[in-house]
Amino acid sequence: MSERPTAQELTEAIAEFLGGEILPMLTDHRLRFRTLVAMNALGIVYRELDALPPEDDTERRELAQRIRTGDVTPGTLAQVKADVEVRLRIASPRYLDRYESGRAE
Amino acid sequence: MTTVAIGSDDRTEMRQAIEAVLGPVLQHILLAGGASKEAWAVDAGDERLLVRRAAVGVIHRHTLSLRDEFAVLEAAYEAGVKVPLPRLYIADLDGREAFVMERLEGETIGRRIVRMDVPAQLPLQMAEELAKIHAIPHDRVPFLVEARLERMVDELDDVGEPHPAIELGLWWLRENRPPPRPPVVSHGDYRIGNVVVDETGLVGILDWEFAHVDDPVRDLGFGLVRAWRFGVDDKRLGGIADVEGYLDRYNERSGFDVRPEELDYWELAGNVGWAIGCLTQAQRHLRGQDRSVELAILGRLGAEVEYEICHLLEQVVA
Repeated sequence: MSERPTAQELTEAIAEFLGGEILPMLTDHRLRFRTLVAMNALGIVYRELDALPPEDDTERRELAQRIRTGDVTPGTLAQVKADVEVRLRIASPRYLDRYESGRAE
Repeated sequence: MTTVAIGSDDRTEMRQAIEAVLGPVLQHILLAGGASKEAWAVDAGDERLLVRRAAVGVIHRHTLSLRDEFAVLEAAYEAGVKVPLPRLYIADLDGREAFVMERLEGETIGRRIVRMDVPAQLPLQMAEELAKIHAIPHDRVPFLVEARLERMVDELDDVGEPHPAIELGLWWLRENRPPPRPPVVSHGDYRIGNVVVDETGLVGILDWEFAHVDDPVRDLGFGLVRAWRFGVDDKRLGGIADVEGYLDRYNERSGFDVRPEELDYWELAGNVGWAIGCLTQAQRHLRGQDRSVELAILGRLGAEVEYEICHLLEQVVA
């Protein structure tokens, strides 16, 4: 497991936020009910993620260790950047556009 | 800042505690019930004050206690730096330490500042104030410790996750370190987002909790980090200006001769530091010190900063 928080840990954080901070503020019955339903839905996602195999981060760990020891080759930067890009496409895809538009200018 | 509603019991207790030291209070509002610090806007007599108070429990590594932060604020004020007038330190304000300072008028939210029509002198004023900060004698604030680049490695190891981009940034910083300059008193978080701005320009510098002693160019370059441009990426200094005028004015006032390449070096170092900062913030959530979605998501958004590290390295690594 390499990406922290994991998807499962993120669902936990959202559930805590909804239950701890939003729900106590709600007085409208309909909104309270829908928030409880949303929390139940998050619970489903959480348990479904539980069944997935953990991400294998062996390669990333080895790469990080290799760079730490000063073993940096001409291709290392491109390899590292490609790895970050894959993670960014999940975490914040629109951020990449900021570099695309900069290049076009 | 948004106003956060709090329970009426808290309000009453805080009001009594504040009145015990400041006299009758007309109004008090909790501005930010943040993770490590609370900020209260307090109107007492004809004064507009801000009370900064420790939050429950969490002591952050490498941040100053409120007592020391207050002392740095006093030293900065004495040195003529634009800062809120420090009023008093309170060792026990309803059970926690706090200090009181003037509440400055103006905009602090970075996202709004970069979209304001800021006056052309703002970057120059930022350079001038930084030169004044760097001239504060270390023996005036002897409790400030020197930060070394190596500390970033320790912080990354504490997190324990593999991040090749951060490793590559650290490697480059080790291999290409410019000759170190004699360390000076440093703000530690000098950027848009920690300054108060109005239509006349720079009103004051806030958030001194990361003050330490360091190479002066580290502070100078930190404001260039892309994350502090708040989306206005083509203006390298905090989304408000190019760096040339800022660097020239800093050199003129400080008497140093900082070269653009040094600034590039410390811009990269600032990005590496912030990438690690994102991970350590997420750890506060994951380790249960401070559960919050805001902190949690930083663990993933750090990938943005890692991408910027790669982008900067592409320009210097053959």
